[in-house]
Amino acid sequence: MAESAAAPPTHLQLFLGMQQVALSSFGGGLSAWSERIVVEERQWMNAEEFITGLTVARLFPGPNQINMAVYIGSRFHGLSGALAALSGMLLLPFSLLLLLGLAYYDLHETMAVDRVLAGVITASAGMALSMGFKIAGAYRRDPVAMLLAGASFLAMSVFHVRLVPLVLVAGPLAMAWYWPKQKQ
Amino acid sequence: MITLAATTACQAIALGDWRNLLAVAWDFLALSLFSLGGGNTLLTEYHHMAVDQYCWLSSRQFADIYAIAEAAPGPSSMIVGLLGMGAAVQEGPLWGLLSGVSAEIAILLPSTLLMVAAALSWNRLRDSPWRVAFERGLGPITLGILFAVGLKILRISDHDTPAYAVSLVVCVLMLRTKISPLWFMAVAGLMGALGLVNHG
Repeated sequence: MAESAAAPPTHLQLFLGMQQVALSSFGGGLSAWSERIVVEERQWMNAEEFITGLTVARLFPGPNQINMAVYIGSRFHGLSGALAALSGMLLLPFSLLLLLGLAYYDLHETMAVDRVLAGVITASAGMALSMGFKIAGAYRRDPVAMLLAGASFLAMSVFHVRLVPLVLVAGPLAMAWYWPKQKQ
Repeated sequence: MITLAATTACQAIALGDWRNLLAVAWDFLALSLFSLGGGNTLLTEYHHMAVDQYCWLSSRQFADIYAIAEAAPGPSSMIVGLLGMGAAVQEGPLWGLLSGVSAEIAILLPSTLLMVAAALSWNRLRDSPWRVAFERGLGPITLGILFAVGLKILRISDHDTPAYAVSLVVCVLMLRTKISPLWFMAVAGLMGALGLVNHG
């Protein structure tokens, strides 16, 4: 793997770079902005290293973009680098969200706010519904995967099984089924 | 209306008592490592905690908060901060902020520590059979959970035919176009303001 051209970023640079990613991505496209800023502008990583990072970020538990910031930070300065990158990514958006939250809890019983939100939640419900369909294509040709997905869906939606016991029971079974057959 | 009746029967706990705050932080800490698929798999658990278990919010408020977290810039998983705030905001804005920040730190801490370990040892992990089995096995389970989450949010958000119609149209447009979701929320918000979609 080729090393990137630029010198490794300091903690402050990690913080500011991730803050730039967070601010640029208003309205979505966070991972595209992340690549543009981290790979093209600041050249902390090459494209291949960045894609490896995305793979790890998606594989492990936690929000993808937050995991990506943690990955980038920890590659350069371990835990402290991860915290610097994470703070940069979260500080401004989270502060803004908390202000919005205070406004919401103060105003949500106001007629006008209530009516607008009654509309907005129908759109966000549609967005939530699309999450499953977005990744379903990858599993269409695998009957065992569809069976696992269907059983997990029924367990939660019909039988009200909670997430933690579901994952603790179905997870090991699924891992056993998909255990690589031959040592590579 | 049914959801309102159900929540009034439930007594909200006071987070001004630090033991309650710790219990709540512990619940979020324990959920952190189960946030598969980018964290959205936890939404039904958040709803269960906030609405059924601790009675911080009504189902309608949960739907509102989900929409706000989706619309605001930054990772939508910051919804946990708003849930934590909802738990304590009736005890004053400062308690609300403290509780919101604590909840967000609690949900992110375990997954962040694991991610640091993963980033530093990825070269060894990459070829491990555990990694392969985890990725391939947990993928379909995540898929099923995401459908359950979508259905749950649909049920708590929509209460009449026009509302379901808007949600379905948005869902199809999300899958077929690259239009920014902010536009869908803006149009739907306008429809709400005009009284075209209602709740309850």
